[in-house]
Amino acid sequence: MSEGAATIRTRKFMTNRLLCRKQMIVDVLHPGKATIPKTEVREKLAKMYKTTPDVIFCFGFRTKFGGGKTSGFGLIYDSLDFAKKFEPKYRLQRHGLVEIKKTGRKQRKERKNRQKKVRGTKKAKVGAGKKK
Amino acid sequence: MSTEEITEAMNLLSAVESQTQDVTKLVDHLLKKATENEYNTSKGISFLELKYQLLLSYLMNLTYISLQKSQGSSIQDDPAIDRLIEIRTVLEKMRPIDKKLKYQVDKVVRTAASGGTDSSDPLRYRANPENLISKLDDESESESEGEEKKSKIYHPPKLTAMHYEGDETEMDKDQKVLERAKKRALSTSMLRELREEFSEGPTEIRETTSTQRSRAERKLRERTHYEEENFMRFSVSKKDKNEMKRVAGLSSLNNLTHFDDISALTEGRAPQAGGSSKKRKHGGKGKKGKKGFKKKRIH
Repeated sequence: MSEGAATIRTRKFMTNRLLCRKQMIVDVLHPGKATIPKTEVREKLAKMYKTTPDVIFCFGFRTKFGGGKTSGFGLIYDSLDFAKKFEPKYRLQRHGLVEIKKTGRKQRKERKNRQKKVRGTKKAKVGAGKKK
Repeated sequence: MSTEEITEAMNLLSAVESQTQDVTKLVDHLLKKATENEYNTSKGISFLELKYQLLLSYLMNLTYISLQKSQGSSIQDDPAIDRLIEIRTVLEKMRPIDKKLKYQVDKVVRTAASGGTDSSDPLRYRANPENLISKLDDESESESEGEEKKSKIYHPPKLTAMHYEGDETEMDKDQKVLERAKKRALSTSMLRELREEFSEGPTEIRETTSTQRSRAERKLRERTHYEEENFMRFSVSKKDKNEMKRVAGLSSLNNLTHFDDISALTEGRAPQAGGSSKKRKHGGKGKKGKKGFKKKRIH
């Protein structure tokens, strides 16, 4: 199916009943253009498989040498609940369904160094508040 | 047609006739012997029996086709051709099995030809499992009472027979190196092409793939296959990335004019290692400064 001179084809389609999803390899043909963003690929897949784009997760897109063709993977879940249950957190975060709190690297290292000065169960208490 | 060609044709035809007479005589002889059951093939390896049956039927079909052709009749859509193709494919498929059986078959043929097995034949050596059992329990009892002077020197345990290389002189080593270099030189592309030029067999036309490219391609294919099976992506290491860049880029054009060293055959000496060293990375020279010492930062 082509729209805006980009064609999507799927290969190696498999229905994974254990994880309540359909998984496939997605080939995007886009001669003369840059790689298509994942959101657009999701929309097109949604049209192809007649679902909403929010249960579609695609990742791992690599463009072949010379441009024009990109291959990646696509997963279509039966429902959003199953998706939240089975997908890894970083992919859910890409869709905005989950927030991963990240303490900064400096903060983590400083906490570790503070913990080094204390022995035993007091280590857990050290991290709680920034000393000084 | 000139008279020379006519005379040559006549000579060839008479040669064909005499050779066919010889062949029919040989075949009659073999047939007589086979019918008199002088050759007992019931206990033979069934794989080999299948092979010679296939070869025989191949020959029969081939002679039928050549008969048709010499009579001038058309061989289009002849079922004999289909049979030939079938037998040929089966023979090709049997070739790797043949290779695996080669050692056994050669051994049997050699014993049949030589009439007996030589006990000191080095090919009869195989691992002796009894030697692998530890005999230390028996030894420790006898040694505790006996002399202890011997146990001061370490003797490695003799488990299996190993080839002894200690008596090799410098000359022998050089000779071995030279032999290996010669063997390697014989399989270079230059000599392979020379051999093909002068050989009389049919020329095989193959898609040319250089070894570097085929290695890189094979690796890439394996990786993509694994990635697609397991729905994941690998991160390409720097080494692999550089190799792919090198193979796909312009530097691969240098290999067109680069020929391997065959001085082992032409001059009779092993090639020096200096010429074939790999490209050194810039890191080897870049670490040192211009003046040849590491520049240290002084705070």
